[in-house]
Amino acid sequence: MVLMLCALVQNGIALASEVGAMSKADDMKAEPFSDSKSVKALSVGEKLDILSKQGGWFKVKAGKTTGWVRMLSVRKGDAKKGAGNASGLLALSSGRAGTGKVVATTGVRGLNEEELKAATFNEAELQRAEANASSKTDATAFANQGKLVVRPFDYLPAQ
Amino acid sequence: MKKSIQILLASLSMVSVSACAFDLGELKGKVDAAKVKVDAAKASIPPVNPKLAEAVKDIQGPSESEEIAIGRQIAGNLLGAAPLVKDDKLQKYVNRVGRWVATQSERPDLPWHFGVIQSEDMNAFAAPGGYIFITLGLYRTFQSEADMAGVLGHEVGHVIRQHHLKVLQQSKLVDAGSKVLSKSVGGNDKVQQLIGSGAEIVARGLDKDAEFEADRIGVVLATRAGYDAYGLPSVLQQIGHAAKDDDRVALLFKTHPLPEDRLNKLGSAMGDRFDRVKGLTLEKRLLKVKQ
Repeated sequence: MVLMLCALVQNGIALASEVGAMSKADDMKAEPFSDSKSVKALSVGEKLDILSKQGGWFKVKAGKTTGWVRMLSVRKGDAKKGAGNASGLLALSSGRAGTGKVVATTGVRGLNEEELKAATFNEAELQRAEANASSKTDATAFANQGKLVVRPFDYLPAQ
Repeated sequence: MKKSIQILLASLSMVSVSACAFDLGELKGKVDAAKVKVDAAKASIPPVNPKLAEAVKDIQGPSESEEIAIGRQIAGNLLGAAPLVKDDKLQKYVNRVGRWVATQSERPDLPWHFGVIQSEDMNAFAAPGGYIFITLGLYRTFQSEADMAGVLGHEVGHVIRQHHLKVLQQSKLVDAGSKVLSKSVGGNDKVQQLIGSGAEIVARGLDKDAEFEADRIGVVLATRAGYDAYGLPSVLQQIGHAAKDDDRVALLFKTHPLPEDRLNKLGSAMGDRFDRVKGLTLEKRLLKVKQ
């Protein structure tokens, strides 16, 4: 039991008070398992406080209820007013919801197409990159140090 | 001989015209069909003309060593635009995790290389043959080693399914008549001619389905490697969080489907298949970088 608790504490990642909203309707569960008891039905756009993360689950607070929801049913970030309706969500996914934010960047220009097109071959940097390569043996030893264990898992079919 | 070249050119243009209309899976069928035609053309004549032999090889796809040479040229150009972060400990760390993830794929013995490049952008790049780079800006979004494993798994997916190589093969086929057969060029110049200007190939978007496929491969490779499967989705959520007009995600959003779409697709593909899988996140082992 103590071991189990330790494992849970180690696995759960505490998140510094993040907010989010349901990206689709889903149940809040008592525990982070799909066969756990449902404690509340959450609808699209419902606002949440994200408390921690464990595997594919977020521990969240919705209103006064705390429980677990699948992380893939949650969209992180500030839920806009009216995000619960379709137009709010559509606006978010098409990028129009951010128009109120004028200063979102730090003024640092990102890597762009022109820069990449104009780039010239840098042999010295490439050799540095190649010198840092890890062999299979080295990578396996590092994985063992982290107690990573290989397991078979089939590729996922396209949906 | 002249007639054989004409037959070959006819096959080339047939492939390039029809290639646009099909997705990658169907494209393979088309290319295979073209190969049969080329084989037939080869069988009917002695393969002595070096230009013809070259063109035949172009259709059949490059060998592994050519694939690596192409990737090396792209990688060198990318590093010309953004050098490596000067932190050998970080570079070694990313290589160890990346190699471990790549070892779980069907191409474990490629000479895999990974690197963190000096850019506050949030992006990652893969070049043929196993050259993979992530930006420092993207690295900063990682909250655990599993997050990085998922992202590197996505890029490994592009390499093992030869997504960029297929794009190059398509564009090369278009150019084949004018370039390959008209001019003789050598060494790296030839590779450069093939990939366009500088590292523009990485600024060009892939087919959306190729991105979704790489996402599905990313979570599976991370899982096989013993990591928590939800690293890649976590990073996608972080990126989705960024404002759409943030310059740091401009190129990423231009070349990839939006994170929301990717998360939706990935969510349906993953379903509850990973519920019983207990992977590690290793957030404590994630190497911190200076701000």
